[in-house]
Amino acid sequence: MKRTFKGGIHPYEGKELTENKPVTEYLPKGDLVFPLSQHIGAPAKPVVKKGDPVLAGQLIAEAGGFVSANIHSSVSGTVKAIEPRLTSAGNKVNSIVIENDGEFKSVEYKGNDTPVSELDKGVILDAIKQAGIVGMGGAGFPTHVKLSPKEPEKIDTIIVNASECEPYLTSDYRRLIEQGDGVIEGLRLALAIFPGAKGIIAVEDNKPEAIRLLTEKLAGDDKIAVHSMKTKYPEGAERQLIYANTGRYINSKMLPADAGCIVHNVDTVFAICEAVRKGKPLIERIVTVTGDAINNPGNFRILVGTSYQELIEAAGGFKTTPEKIISGGPMMGKAIYTTELPATKGSSAILCLTKDEVQEYEPSACIRCGRCISVCPGRVRPELLCNLAERGDIEGFLAHEGMECCECGCCSYVCPAKRHLTQTIAGTRKLVLANKKK
Amino acid sequence: MDENLKLKISASPHVRSKDTTSDIMFDVVVALVPATAVGLYSFGWYAALLVAVCIGCCVGFEALYQHCMGKKVTVGDFSAVVTGLLLAMNLPPRLPVWMAVLGSAFAIIIVKQLFGGLGQNFMNPALGARCFLILAFSRYMTAFYYDGVSAATPLAMLKQGGPVNLRNMFLGFTAGTIGEASTAALLIGAVYLLIRRVISPKIPLFYIGTFALCIVIYALVKGFDVPEFLAAHLTGGGLMLGAWFMATDYVTSPITPAGKIIYAVFLGLMTFVLRIFGPAAEGVSYSIIIANLLVPLIERITEPKPFGAGADVKKEEKKADEKAEDAPAAEEKAPEEVQVKSRIDGKGIVVAICAISLITLIMGAILGTVYGITKDPIANVEQQAKADAYKEVFPEANTVLTMVDGGLSEAEAGIQMNAINSNLKNTGKFDNTRIDEINFAITGTDKDNPGNMLGFVVLVTNDKGYGGELQLAIGISSTGEITGISFLKINETAGLGMKANTDKFKQQFIGKQVGQFTYTKTGSTADSEIDALSGATITTSAVTEAVNAALYALGGGY
Repeated sequence: MKRTFKGGIHPYEGKELTENKPVTEYLPKGDLVFPLSQHIGAPAKPVVKKGDPVLAGQLIAEAGGFVSANIHSSVSGTVKAIEPRLTSAGNKVNSIVIENDGEFKSVEYKGNDTPVSELDKGVILDAIKQAGIVGMGGAGFPTHVKLSPKEPEKIDTIIVNASECEPYLTSDYRRLIEQGDGVIEGLRLALAIFPGAKGIIAVEDNKPEAIRLLTEKLAGDDKIAVHSMKTKYPEGAERQLIYANTGRYINSKMLPADAGCIVHNVDTVFAICEAVRKGKPLIERIVTVTGDAINNPGNFRILVGTSYQELIEAAGGFKTTPEKIISGGPMMGKAIYTTELPATKGSSAILCLTKDEVQEYEPSACIRCGRCISVCPGRVRPELLCNLAERGDIEGFLAHEGMECCECGCCSYVCPAKRHLTQTIAGTRKLVLANKKK
Repeated sequence: MDENLKLKISASPHVRSKDTTSDIMFDVVVALVPATAVGLYSFGWYAALLVAVCIGCCVGFEALYQHCMGKKVTVGDFSAVVTGLLLAMNLPPRLPVWMAVLGSAFAIIIVKQLFGGLGQNFMNPALGARCFLILAFSRYMTAFYYDGVSAATPLAMLKQGGPVNLRNMFLGFTAGTIGEASTAALLIGAVYLLIRRVISPKIPLFYIGTFALCIVIYALVKGFDVPEFLAAHLTGGGLMLGAWFMATDYVTSPITPAGKIIYAVFLGLMTFVLRIFGPAAEGVSYSIIIANLLVPLIERITEPKPFGAGADVKKEEKKADEKAEDAPAAEEKAPEEVQVKSRIDGKGIVVAICAISLITLIMGAILGTVYGITKDPIANVEQQAKADAYKEVFPEANTVLTMVDGGLSEAEAGIQMNAINSNLKNTGKFDNTRIDEINFAITGTDKDNPGNMLGFVVLVTNDKGYGGELQLAIGISSTGEITGISFLKINETAGLGMKANTDKFKQQFIGKQVGQFTYTKTGSTADSEIDALSGATITTSAVTEAVNAALYALGGGY
């Protein structure tokens, strides 16, 4: 039996555009923008002011609370402004703008070569915290917080989420192929924090090369296993990933730690290795620039803060006029209306599509075919929840487990009536969450 | 950034599958093509006309209604085409066109649009219309033909204990509605739907499975030939059309996975009860309509449990247990949230199925009891009426024996009658007449003491009377002389056609020995000429045709 979950879909993968293209480094030319809130939690507090000279790797904003993260400059230059700037989420966020001097002078990094077995877990956690590492799959939860659960003795599994189930994205795959050692080392460092825990690197079976390489490198290692999972969206959704790899269930009211698990993205684990071994803060990542509107789709190692526009130009610019540009993958990414946005720690891809499939169809009446139910990984009734949401029946929405929706988008994808199921349900979920906070 | 770049914005997901509602509906139409083709081959151009009328009217009424109500016209989604085609499949092949039009209007306007249009109707529109037509025009809706002559459906024959031809039933060369006859063609369509993933096999398999199980048990209890009885029930009637194409209708079947099973089991039980214990031979349409009404209830009790449901509760319980061990006096924790108690688990499904089975069986028992209590009295009354009629038409005879009394098995008698009727049909002169029985008039007291054979009493039905069917008992002596005529069924216009049932009219036949009769409006000049009833030529024609058919059937050479 393949490791998987019940439900899910198989959209067009689009990975062939970039999966075999090695990562190329891109150095930015223009200004860099660092939103102070590119993670979940309190915004970071600036420690520089307008006019200050900065070096690459220099701390420019420090964590604004326990659940928050440091931010470092990725280039050398001068602080040009601290002002609200538009981000890919669609809102304006107070940001530090740095004028790039083009010299890329860096602070000196101090790594730690102590073998994993002799490393103190406090040292590792501190290095992660200092480096400002956050979840790089998109959610941006500060990693040092994730690695400090309430009951650390209950954590028995750390899963590296290498499923990369979003179509078009190949940055994690390239990282595994090109820098698999760093990923493995990062996982070993994370495991060192939990002496009883075992590691799993979970990869979808559409990446056989990555599975082969990792298995080879991990031969004889009994603490880390490589799991091959069925290729299916959303195999990498946290709850489904935990179930597929450990058989444990969690629901929306629980954290992975409640099931004894911690889940990290590939790039996050790699960043842990960089932070501990090289003393390097999180200032770069891999971004997939792809889509049928792009001249030379590819993967780029970029500096955080680089403008999307520069990255699109780095990929040869537009082949045809795009109708839609998405920050992230096509299933959960956000459509953007301008390319003057900074790449952040959580930017995985820029997807430029010639045609917008959503507006090709007009939503029509539900015919109750039940496809949304059969694909829903959360096992709720999207058609019913959507009706309740449209009617504004919050009570009914909650009674029918609307909060168990993970907004993966499978229902909207599969709906033959082209109803905006995920969108409607997600809107009501946000409303409920906002009301809860009040 | 290029200022001319116009980007579109929408919430995720940004990709859509290629399947649309109209693709699905079109697939259903394609899947019905084989069964439609067999229906048209069997029943000819008139059936084709009915199919065209139903589809055209359904689409037309939908467009008309939506236009008049100021709604968006959505006939492009093909759903009205599917309704029209399914309705046509459920109609007998010679239904008057205006009834098909009325049925289409009922399906689209009453059942579908008045309840909110596509996706909102509480019962299958095509079946709703079929049941409406059965109630309104039962005689037309149960008049079946095959090969140009009126014939009983295999299920009706089965119910009366008659023989059935399984091969023809499987292939579809038998009487029935336009689309139901061919099991083979329907299964081809079903396989297409399964391959295209338009339907899941869950509902049809559980439906047919439950029904088959009941039939097997019943056949065993009754001591029937199990394989043959089962095969006849599976291939006969609307089961295959209903199970694969109507019960699986998205809108009117449960959307929840567990609900589909309960729904299908209920359908199987209901169809069994209606077919075996009900007064009619068929029970699929009513079963599906009743099950349609239960769908909201079934969905309510079978709502799926979300992913990881209860995982946190288990954890809380564990913690509470641990605490309880540590400090036995710890206060009980009040549940934080009141759970909506509408979910069902594996055990619940079993309970629900049992409850539904029980309800169905009780209903079946009541239905069966009423049928059982009334069956004999009704049969007795009919028998008595027949006996009186036979006596009247052949006064000289002491006893009238049936073919079976005469030593034939029921099957042989059936084959004999089929042969006689098919000969009749081949003459092309008796298109509207069917010989129901040929009985023997004797001087003896019973079949063991037959005495002398005096002649025959023939029971004939002509379905082209002015008011529908006419059934006559006709006495014919061994020499071909008409000894008497009596009407068992007559529903003609009072004062006109009804005059056929007067001695004055009937006397014109009695005592004559002419081979074939004709009727005239200008005054009878010969023994073989009958004066037509004034203002009731159709009735006259029907009676004459019936008498002539009886004479022809007995040898024709008189």
